[in-house]
Amino acid sequence: MLGEPLTRNNVNHDGAPSKMVVEGLSAFYGSKKAVSGVSLGFREHTVTAIIGPSGCGKSTLIRCLNRMHEVVPGTRIEGRVLLDGEDIYRQDRVSVRRRIGMVFQKPNPFPTMSVYDNVAAGLRLNGMRKRAVLDAAVTKGLKQAALWDEVKENVYGPGIGLSGGQQQRLCIARALAIEPEVVLMDEPCSALDPIATAKIEDLIFDLQKTYTVVIVTHNMQQAARVAEYTAFMYLGELIEYDRTEKLFEQPTQKLTENYITGRFG
Amino acid sequence: MPTAVERKALSEALGRLNENMRTMSQLSVLAIRKAAQALEKGRTRDADEVFTLDQEIYGLKQRVEQSCIELIALYAPVASDLRTITASLEITTDLDRIGRYSKDIAEAAEKLKGMSRESLGKIGNLTRMADMTIQMIETSVNAFTQRQADPVRDIVRTDDAIDALHDEVFTELVEKMTDQSVAPRVGAQYILINRYFERLADHAVNIGLDVIYMITAQRPSKVKRRNGEAHPPPPAPSAAPS
Amino acid sequence: MKFDRDARRRVFNWIVGVLCFLCVVAALVPLLSILYTAFINGGHVLSLSFLVSKENNVGVCFPGDPASCSVGGIGPALYGTGVVVGLASLMSVPVGVLSGIYLSEYGRNALGRSISFFTDVMTGTPSIVVGLFVYATFVYIARTVVFSALSGAVALAIIMVPTITRTTEEGLRLVPNTLREGAYALGIPRYRAVLQIVLSSGRSIVVTGVVLAVMRAAGEVAPLLVTAFGSSLGFTGVNEPAGLLGPLIFFDATGGSSLLVSAAWGASLVLILLMLGISLLARIALRNRFK
Repeated sequence: MLGEPLTRNNVNHDGAPSKMVVEGLSAFYGSKKAVSGVSLGFREHTVTAIIGPSGCGKSTLIRCLNRMHEVVPGTRIEGRVLLDGEDIYRQDRVSVRRRIGMVFQKPNPFPTMSVYDNVAAGLRLNGMRKRAVLDAAVTKGLKQAALWDEVKENVYGPGIGLSGGQQQRLCIARALAIEPEVVLMDEPCSALDPIATAKIEDLIFDLQKTYTVVIVTHNMQQAARVAEYTAFMYLGELIEYDRTEKLFEQPTQKLTENYITGRFG
Repeated sequence: MPTAVERKALSEALGRLNENMRTMSQLSVLAIRKAAQALEKGRTRDADEVFTLDQEIYGLKQRVEQSCIELIALYAPVASDLRTITASLEITTDLDRIGRYSKDIAEAAEKLKGMSRESLGKIGNLTRMADMTIQMIETSVNAFTQRQADPVRDIVRTDDAIDALHDEVFTELVEKMTDQSVAPRVGAQYILINRYFERLADHAVNIGLDVIYMITAQRPSKVKRRNGEAHPPPPAPSAAPS
Repeated sequence: MKFDRDARRRVFNWIVGVLCFLCVVAALVPLLSILYTAFINGGHVLSLSFLVSKENNVGVCFPGDPASCSVGGIGPALYGTGVVVGLASLMSVPVGVLSGIYLSEYGRNALGRSISFFTDVMTGTPSIVVGLFVYATFVYIARTVVFSALSGAVALAIIMVPTITRTTEEGLRLVPNTLREGAYALGIPRYRAVLQIVLSSGRSIVVTGVVLAVMRAAGEVAPLLVTAFGSSLGFTGVNEPAGLLGPLIFFDATGGSSLLVSAAWGASLVLILLMLGISLLARIALRNRFK
């Protein structure tokens, strides 16, 4: 099963369709191969986690999913990444990124903008001017990110005035305001304290009703808490991909077992 | 899931758990052996040893339960570690029951002292049943301490033989008590002893099945199919990456 | 004994602290003394009329001509400075800022690095050389000697651009990459991300660079002497010579008349105060509106 391309209706997903499919993806930084022949599918309206030790290529993989990998000069990919069956590398990069949003490891609200402006930035900088539309999108984004109650009194205050956990939720609200179909998260909680982490994990759990979520995490327990499916990567390759409970109770690969039991890290 | 740092602590704790389980296994086997001996030879010394062993086994069971819960709380173990711990939890109960039934057999043996058993004839000789049961228990326990699934694959089938034997002995005892060739006091004890051996065999089967789970992560069914055959246990997974 | 080492360390710390403070004082002394001297020598000349009156071209006091006996004013020169520096800014700021943006955002390659290097070299070009270059160019084009406000503005612009470019480039480089990524991940086209988010975040450094360049241009003398040359009427047209503060101070100070020397001090003081004023305005404009 491993290594074979997972098509729209693949067995792993119990017959449910994949929102995104990666086929034979290899990603390069110059001559260095960071991701090597990865094929897997991401089931829609589900949270899929990607785990693995540092340097295994999980961050590179997720950045290939919305063409952020190209932002670094000298990079290239081989293989395909399909969104609803269409290769995103054959489409306009900017429109792809509007459908596939991303939240980064370190919260990065725009420092010169207020909370409102931050959340509205995606829409505004794409030409939307109507106040009513922006207001609705900002409110909806903040509510979906579970931040509304905490900032509704001071929505015009500075974005960077919030706490770390709130800033990260602000970034999530900003990503959600443009109504993407997929939300990618690259270690979203690694810079946060346990309480902020818990709030965001709750949020991720709710998000899967509306979006397809892919989350990279170095915290395996987090993967166990939020993700329905988990992929384990090592040295750029996909070693195992399965339902989370199966991967953690009964991994089929020795490498997976050694990693999750802490025998190497 | 443990980090590399926690791994060391977890490995040590797992080592201690395994040691305790090994000791408990040995004590249980000793207990049933002594109980069979007490039954056969009628020496009070043997019976007393069984009573002591049962106490020890019970104490160990409590310690093992406690460590398993601590391991789960502290380390959130996964995969083989998790299966080892949950299997140990289950097996420790079975071993404790083995100790308990051994004690019951020893008690019955004490009660039978001085009573005549000639009238029982061949069913008085429960040696065969005792031997089979002891062997089953030893096989299961060894499979557990050596982490081998193969020796216990057919354990359900062996249990069938003991069940058959149990039914035979039971029927004969009832007959003999009905036609008064065996005194009810004696017959009743033997019915109990017969039952104890059958239950001991069941626990040996439980242990065997838990060992299979621990190693293969599959739980084969104990339910027998209509023709009397149990479902065969599944093969072990490959260790090499595909 | 430990005690000794501790005491020795504390004394040493104190000595270094005092030395640093003395260096600060040494650095401030010349600056403050310039300010002081300017005030002493030019303060008495300052008045509203000084700021708007025409210059005293004669410099020699004739009893029958009251105009020749007054200090005069710097009105035309002030006006000329405003117009010419303004023209220069109009030319240099867009060019400088956009090149800085290019170098920082799109030019992270060998070509970009060499352009950066040469721009650095150009910031150090002697301003008289720039002036002569502009003069020669205008002469070449017009086939005759040309002194004009336009050539002055061009010279000043050439002097301003490298500074603005380098400061903009460095300022934008300081904007963390996470901001750019955040913008790209929202599906914002690159040029919009650069102009509306990156530039906005780095704006304080960019504005500082522009202000520095403007202040330098406002105080230039040598290049203006061979381009705009000078005019007692300040600014009369782009193709006419223009009078600016810098050259005015030069002419007045070397004119030989004590009246003119006073005027020169007054003009110097005005120039200094003007610089201070622009800096202050820039700071106020850049203050975080959330404070």
